[in-house]
Amino acid sequence: MQLLINIIVLASIYALIACGYVLIYRVSRVLNLAHGELMMFGAYLVLACASLFAGHPIMALCAAVVLSVVTGALVYVFLMRKMTGEMVLAAILTTVALGILVRGVIVLVWSSQQQYPAQALGISNPTFTLPGDGHISFWSLVLVLTNLAAYGALFGFLRFGRWGMRMRAAGQNPLLAAQRGINLHGVYALAWSLSTLTGALAGILMALDSGVTGSMPVIALKAFPAALVGGLDSLGGALLGALIIAGAEVLLIYYVDPLLSDVVPFLVLVAMLIVRPWGLFGTREELDRV
Amino acid sequence: MNAPLLQVEKIEVVYKRVITAVQGVTLAVPDGQIVALLGTNGAGKSTTLRAISGFLGLDDAKVTEGSITFEGTSLQNRPPHEIAGHGVVLVPEREKVFPNLTVAENLAAPVVRASKAGDRRQQEERIYHFFPRLADLRDRTGGLLSGGERQMLAIASALMCRPKLLLIDELSLGLAPVVVGDLIRRLAAIRDDLGIAILLVEQSAAVALEIADYAYVMENGRVVLDGDRERLRSHKDVQEFYLGQGNGVGNSDGAVRRSYRDVKQYRRSRRWYG
Repeated sequence: MQLLINIIVLASIYALIACGYVLIYRVSRVLNLAHGELMMFGAYLVLACASLFAGHPIMALCAAVVLSVVTGALVYVFLMRKMTGEMVLAAILTTVALGILVRGVIVLVWSSQQQYPAQALGISNPTFTLPGDGHISFWSLVLVLTNLAAYGALFGFLRFGRWGMRMRAAGQNPLLAAQRGINLHGVYALAWSLSTLTGALAGILMALDSGVTGSMPVIALKAFPAALVGGLDSLGGALLGALIIAGAEVLLIYYVDPLLSDVVPFLVLVAMLIVRPWGLFGTREELDRV
Repeated sequence: MNAPLLQVEKIEVVYKRVITAVQGVTLAVPDGQIVALLGTNGAGKSTTLRAISGFLGLDDAKVTEGSITFEGTSLQNRPPHEIAGHGVVLVPEREKVFPNLTVAENLAAPVVRASKAGDRRQQEERIYHFFPRLADLRDRTGGLLSGGERQMLAIASALMCRPKLLLIDELSLGLAPVVVGDLIRRLAAIRDDLGIAILLVEQSAAVALEIADYAYVMENGRVVLDGDRERLRSHKDVQEFYLGQGNGVGNSDGAVRRSYRDVKQYRRSRRWYG
């Protein structure tokens, strides 16, 4: 039972992070390698907001989430916007540079020691015992529910929302989308905001559960195989990929060796790349574009 | 005569800063008229159309000289969505629909220009009226449509932007004559009902001169001939090279027979899909 809960929690973490990669890749073919850093930035924003809104934990959390969305939009407007029309590789390298920059700023401002936003906010993290003798902490539970809500909302938005449709259209044929009056910069900024939002949600909830250090982006790096295994341009694929990676990771840690934790996602990725390089639900033709 | 809806004045388009594709092209599209741009492959027709619609910027090409004026505003080197916002919308030659979106979604994605509540639905109804076939295909994915259906959908989704000027790149390319004839009739109806102007790029002079009020003939990036339909139809060169009619000898049953010896060799060998 505990094993199952661990898998679900870990899968939720990976899935919530992976959908950020997918969103940006789908509309602009850019891999956002700064996703982990932006996620960590969201967690540190909670710390900043905690001192800003002392005594109002909910307001502080909301402020941190809103600020993350703004951060995503700003990253697009001031950085990635200049890269539209350039080579995709150049854009990807830009995100690498951004990631290093964000990491440096975070160490400068908040130091590299482990911090506990939950303490700063003055909220606790009770543990629930589920039937079957499984334990889950309150914030892990929130994370699982947030992940489900996020995927539900994203599916609905992309399927039925007018701007969701436009995002899909821009991903398929940006030129045509622009000529149909769709402002590509608007679509891309929206993708970056949504991606940073989901990433920051994951970062914030993980930080509330177990604190935050400068090494948090490693988790996002492990979520990247989840997006790849599912197929980089498929949201449903990211969800399933996260489940596969988390399942393999938790089971191997339990039955083989805990030290495998950091290796397993990449082992699964390598296996996947050999068997089906475009991922479970990915589009085959997408491959040569990366 | 009033100022035309679209006035293109001596434009020059350069790709990657070195390759000149269009040189000194001047043309005008009056309100509510269908104007055709004729010429062979590589004559610069599509480039001209792309320059007008703003497709160029993303191809590393630029209008370096001349002016493009639409209703008094300059459209030169503006981003495509702004040009669409002014009411100039393009149906490109290739990749003209969103392949993974359904027909209904293809029509829902475009931004309706200057719309009020209800405008979108009204426009949608009009479009299904012009193309009843699309209503049957509502839930079909764009990539699974036949060539003719795809062209219909492309025109329909362009119309969703409520254009004042519709630009169509290669209406007849790759389509069966019967489909082309059908599209021509529908386009004429759309022009009459919606009162929009159409600028049509065509390789097939026969198709273009059936529908256009006025036409320009381009060669090597320049306009070499222009005139209204009747003038071009009766023009000797156009008849020979573009419509495939010659002044051969009529035989007893009235049909015109001609020998290949009589066909005047034009400067370059070329093929016409007339």
